[in-house]
Amino acid sequence: MNRRRLVDYVQLGFYWLSGLSVLLVLLAIIAYLVWRGGPQINLEFLLERPRGTPLGSAGGIFPAIKGTLWLVFWALFFSVPSGLVTAVFLSEYGSRWRIAGLLNLMIQSMAGIPSIITGLFAYALGVVQLGWGISLLAGGLALGIMIFPVIAVSTRDALQAVDNNYRLLACSLGVSELYALRRIILPRAMPGILAGILLATGYAAGATAPIMVTAAAIISSSSGAIFEPVMALPYHLYILFNEHISMDNAYATALILVVILLIINMMVLWLRSWQERIKQK
Amino acid sequence: MNAVEMSNFSAWYGRKAILDNISISFVNRSITAIVGPSGCGKTTLLRSINRTAEMEYAFSCRGDLQVFGKQVYQIKEVDTVRKQVGMVYQIPLALPLSIRENVLFGPRYHGIREQSRLDYIVEDCLRKVALWDEVKDRQCDAAGRLSGGQKQRLAMARVLAVEPQVLLLDEPCSSLDPASTGLIEELLTSLAEDLCVVIVTHNLFQARRIARQTLFMLDGSVIETGPTDALFSNPLDERTRAFFSGLIG
Repeated sequence: MNRRRLVDYVQLGFYWLSGLSVLLVLLAIIAYLVWRGGPQINLEFLLERPRGTPLGSAGGIFPAIKGTLWLVFWALFFSVPSGLVTAVFLSEYGSRWRIAGLLNLMIQSMAGIPSIITGLFAYALGVVQLGWGISLLAGGLALGIMIFPVIAVSTRDALQAVDNNYRLLACSLGVSELYALRRIILPRAMPGILAGILLATGYAAGATAPIMVTAAAIISSSSGAIFEPVMALPYHLYILFNEHISMDNAYATALILVVILLIINMMVLWLRSWQERIKQK
Repeated sequence: MNAVEMSNFSAWYGRKAILDNISISFVNRSITAIVGPSGCGKTTLLRSINRTAEMEYAFSCRGDLQVFGKQVYQIKEVDTVRKQVGMVYQIPLALPLSIRENVLFGPRYHGIREQSRLDYIVEDCLRKVALWDEVKDRQCDAAGRLSGGQKQRLAMARVLAVEPQVLLLDEPCSSLDPASTGLIEELLTSLAEDLCVVIVTHNLFQARRIARQTLFMLDGSVIETGPTDALFSNPLDERTRAFFSGLIG
């Protein structure tokens, strides 16, 4: 075997090895969670509030699931409209305005802000200044600020991925650019946009730091009232683990959280493949 | 009568000059062909007329450009210019809508609501491009499934639906087979009974077959223009002669 061929094989082997190790890590995490947390999961665990002394050593995690869903809802409420509008500006009008370059830079920087700092900002603004207190709304704001760059960037990229000839073609018929955007460009980019939003949803659902200082409570009914604190899966997990309340329930909670995130990510993949199919039409 | 009239018209992308002092006119109810090597400014010339060139970054222009006596670059609503000057592009591309909605994309925007009127437009425009018989039973199918030649005829129907007075075509046949090309040439000849048709083509035979006037461009300038037969058989400029004989291109 000549040297060149050998180098190829070594390279190929390396790629396989790194790909497999990533897969193994993921499988190991899931397997471990199923092993440690699986036995605790039953209907009661999913549908009951936490009980026992210390609290959380028995009962379920229903308010935490509900709270996480509420938090995600408000995070999307704060980030989706602003993210979409920003992305449309950057993609469709940006090249004509010098401010767009600055805006792009700011969004990139925003994506790099540690989430605890986003949390502290939302604390200062929502909890203290606006007087919301530790609340669902403040947590939603923190998560919304955190995922805004994800949504803006993914939407911008989805819009820019639409064949520019459609814009040219539509505008050549004497229609306004916004009409072309509504009827052609946005529908065409929609699966990509939705995929970005879902990805951001997963990011928000799993984030702990921003809600620790703005929204999370050890116990709450998570009724959805916007000025009440809520329970959330990642924070509940953190408390169970950190206070040594119940390792078994911590793993079970982690498993539920991971399953939710996996479902979201699978939907992202499905949307992406839908986008690819549209593109080929 | 001249449909389009340009004098001392120049255009730039950024600092790069694309069109240099162009003075030409396009006759109404006639086909004019524009030939010349790639990158000589043919496409920019067309896109200056329907004002889509300004959709590109850093486009600027100077000079006189009139369509039916109106200064194009003094019209405030760019939409009215683009409606009056239709354009078909090189790549056969259907809007990601049904065949019917492709044709109605312009008319719906321009405020036509009446169902019977919309039906009429669809049939009339598809008939004009000889597509009606092929698609009348599947108007609501996605237009993306049509063949390249069909898509290009659909593109023409889409443009005709907004009733332009000038039709610009940028190498409309460059990706089509000879049969589709022949069909489109026939269509252009019949459309030229009512419209000013300007076609950019790399196919000199095509220019010869359908164009009454031909215009030769090189490096952003118009080198020579005249009746097609005269230009082909007896070019006056050395560079035109070289291009037609294949020495440059």
